[in-house]
Amino acid sequence: MIMRRIRNQFFKELEQFQRDRLGVALAFILPVIALLIIGFAIRLEAKNIPLVVRDLDQSTLSRSYIEQLYATNLFVPAEWQGVRFPDAIDRGTAQVQVTIPPGFAADVNAGRTGEVLVVIDGSDVINARVTQLAVDGVTLSAVQRALGEGQLGELEQFAIVAQVRLWFNPGRQESLFIVPGSYGVILAIFPPLLIAIALVREKEQGTILQLYASSLSAVELLLGKSLAYMLVGLGEAVLLFIVGLLLFGVRFIGDPIPLVIGTLIFLFTGVQLGLIIGIFTTTQSAAVQAIGTIKVLTAFLLAGFLFPLNSVPFPFSVASYLVPVRYYIELCRDVFVRGSGWFGTWYLIVAMVLLGIAEFGIAWWGMRRMQLSS
Amino acid sequence: MVLSQSIARSPALEDVTIHIQKLYKHYGNTIAIRGIDLDIRRGELFGLIGPDGAGKTTTFNILGGVMEATAGVAQILDLPARNARNHTGYLTQQFSLYPDLSVDENIHYSAGLRLVPEDQLDARRTKYLKLMQLEPFRDRLAGWLSGGMKQKLALCCALVAEPQVLLLDEPTTGVDTIARREFWDILARLTAEGITVMVATPDLDEAERCDRVALIHTGQIQQVGSPAALKAALHLSRLVIRTADLVKAEQALIPLIEPNGQIADVSTLGDHIEVLVKDAQPGTALVRDRLKQQSIEPIQATDPTLENVFIALLRRKGSIPQSIPFPRSQQFATPTADPATPKLAISARRLNRVFGSFHAVVDLDLDVHYGEVYGLLGANGAGKTTTIKMLCGLLPISCGEMSLAGERGNLRSAALRQRIGYMSQKFTLYDDLTILENLHFYSGVYGIPPRQQREKIRWVLAMCGLEGQEDLLTRQLPGGWKQRVAFGASVMHEPEILFLDEPTSGTDVLARQQFWQLINDFARHGTAILVTTHYMTEAEQCNRMCFMVAGRKVTEGSASEIKAMQPGQLFELQVETLQTSYNLLRQHLEPWRISIFGDRLHVVLDHPDVELPQIRSWLQTDAPSKIQPIPFSLEDAFIGEVQRAGGAPP
Repeated sequence: MIMRRIRNQFFKELEQFQRDRLGVALAFILPVIALLIIGFAIRLEAKNIPLVVRDLDQSTLSRSYIEQLYATNLFVPAEWQGVRFPDAIDRGTAQVQVTIPPGFAADVNAGRTGEVLVVIDGSDVINARVTQLAVDGVTLSAVQRALGEGQLGELEQFAIVAQVRLWFNPGRQESLFIVPGSYGVILAIFPPLLIAIALVREKEQGTILQLYASSLSAVELLLGKSLAYMLVGLGEAVLLFIVGLLLFGVRFIGDPIPLVIGTLIFLFTGVQLGLIIGIFTTTQSAAVQAIGTIKVLTAFLLAGFLFPLNSVPFPFSVASYLVPVRYYIELCRDVFVRGSGWFGTWYLIVAMVLLGIAEFGIAWWGMRRMQLSS
Repeated sequence: MVLSQSIARSPALEDVTIHIQKLYKHYGNTIAIRGIDLDIRRGELFGLIGPDGAGKTTTFNILGGVMEATAGVAQILDLPARNARNHTGYLTQQFSLYPDLSVDENIHYSAGLRLVPEDQLDARRTKYLKLMQLEPFRDRLAGWLSGGMKQKLALCCALVAEPQVLLLDEPTTGVDTIARREFWDILARLTAEGITVMVATPDLDEAERCDRVALIHTGQIQQVGSPAALKAALHLSRLVIRTADLVKAEQALIPLIEPNGQIADVSTLGDHIEVLVKDAQPGTALVRDRLKQQSIEPIQATDPTLENVFIALLRRKGSIPQSIPFPRSQQFATPTADPATPKLAISARRLNRVFGSFHAVVDLDLDVHYGEVYGLLGANGAGKTTTIKMLCGLLPISCGEMSLAGERGNLRSAALRQRIGYMSQKFTLYDDLTILENLHFYSGVYGIPPRQQREKIRWVLAMCGLEGQEDLLTRQLPGGWKQRVAFGASVMHEPEILFLDEPTSGTDVLARQQFWQLINDFARHGTAILVTTHYMTEAEQCNRMCFMVAGRKVTEGSASEIKAMQPGQLFELQVETLQTSYNLLRQHLEPWRISIFGDRLHVVLDHPDVELPQIRSWLQTDAPSKIQPIPFSLEDAFIGEVQRAGGAPP
């Protein structure tokens, strides 16, 4: 009996959903557009940082130093048109300025300390840090080379040598980092949005009264709607995975079963939040705003999509544990990049199950009376 | 205890399907229902009538199990209303359908909701679709059905679970007069099968067909009884006066109204005046004496109608809306007193509108003069709203010519829009603004000078009886009151041309009378008014009108011209068992020839001398107690014209 009503609700939701052709098109086109924008536009790796060099030494050593700077592939030469030296940074035409004073090569060759002035625009924190590391590295290798030319043997004298190997993504391909994460972000936003609108529309049209006037229970209503929009979400997920494979070359590594199960559970948690918002709002615009704000902010900021979660400060760090996207992004990165299988993912699925049950409980509590509030 | 209870219960009580006792409902500080007691028996067609905001919808919500009562008992089939939901079908005031699902899908979903056994679903669906004549439209989306068909589909959805009790909250609002009659025919058949039907309606003519009615006012039941009993309890006779100059006659009679005198009430209804008198004989003499100067047709004395009962009740309660003169600052044209040179306000030639493959309006010619009330009448989906939208420039015309207030080219210019007023079928007010904010907004939009604004807004509030409540959110108002505010908002700027699309749909009979007083007042001051309505008694007050069927104009003229055009002769039959007699005659006569009017039957005959004896023999056991020829009313004409022209479009 319960199953029959859930099935009835499920099919009615799907019929309504597919009736609105534009709505169906948007439900599948918008996630793909989002994937394209996120996949192509977000670049965390610093690149093309404009650099201005003033070489007052004009020696072989200074030129090779400058060559090495550009060899990092981090910098592009910027033109310096200013009068005073800091003009380029002030105007923003360059983010880094390197000045090699006269006598630089002479100092180094004579065994004195050669000095180089590097001015970095610190208003962009991330680029500044990357630039600093790069300049340090170039300087160190320049020093080593200079030393090597003189006294070859001294290199062996370093006590510790770190043998660094990049696993999983040896080429440091950025798409491998961004694209699996964006699956989580996109699937966190669209299915809840669709289900919240579907529920609020019943209120706006007054059809919800017919549900109240039948003996349909809250559980039947919520599960019927949830399953329908989980199916829609599943369609979106498959489409995203296909586009990700074709355009960004992101493929399954290892066992895909955790992904299948995890995706279903993640979609369940998502539509529960959509239902909760649909229950506590009365107009479509309120529901859309609530979903937009909650989902976009948490998915981008509290789920470890772009910024590492271990650096999130105290109260927010706790809140991030309540965000299901966090676990799903982790799961996607495992399945598409690490490939550790159940060993590295089971606890993520358990966490999402717990959150899903809690959300379903809240939705049920909000809907339990199946009556008009006075 | 249990034993004594079951013994104490008499067989009559066993049959009670709806039991309400000391029911109360509070919303915050407002009390919607204050102590209702009611028992409704199995198979009864029970009407709940009352002015807007009397507490009808709240009662339905509680009985439907979708709202909790503050105190008291509401039982259906001896179960608390909420636990009886599977035996109850509830049609809410808004169409309770999914517009984006098809007819079949809507029924299928409702059936699943109410756990109709799968093996019975098909048979039931076919049965009820056939009953409602919806079978050809099984795959049509509900949103594309006409108003009458939507309500029939909603009824289908409720019936597919074979409920024992049907709750219908104003099911015929916005439904044309022909579809309304069909709907009530269906209700009568359902009650004959033992289903209890409780129905609210603002149309008191319809309510005459109920077995019993309850008059509800400010959350209390004032009177309960069969329509006949209620009318008898009034102890008044109704005089029907037909005369050429209704306004003059009414003005002559109104001063005679006294609470305990001979004349209790005078009102103009369509083409005649009704006067309620204590005793027929002296009353007739008094009226005749008073109207000496006018030529009047013979005065008929009959029983009062439910409408009389209702108005008498409201008069006792002192809730008759007052007419308050509109604070006018301009005059457009001389009233129709000078018909030799009437000025054209709206003129259309061969107007057409096509939506895809659907021809909504076909070659329509139309002229409306200043100072004239022109009625656009037709069944749901006949193209009235499309025509109005084209005429006021909201919808581009597909082909044809038209002029509006002398303008031909740019019908959307700001200066022109300033001179017209438009009230649409759907509420044009903002639900989330207060009444005052809405009125301020509209007076600003229409550029009313600030000095006049306050005065005009005060007039709207007074006319609606909403003084002191202007800070209520508009959505908190009952439907009929919103309608009044919307009307006020659309006339505040004194438009010279006024378009009213079903201004009175869903409002109670008093509000309707008040609307028409205002409409006539505006026309007298030179405004041209184009109005649509489903109530033919109202349409009688139009100077001229046309009937539309499937986008075409089929008849045009004044009410008396149209009535004169009708073929055959009209007879009124007074019968004991209305529904049975009606069903019997339906088997022999064409549909347009017979219809139910209140508690009478109207029959159109071509050769009365041959056909009247036939009718007597068909009815046999239930021979009419009285058969008399009567003049056509506009409603008779409308039913005949529309059904002969192909009926209401699907």
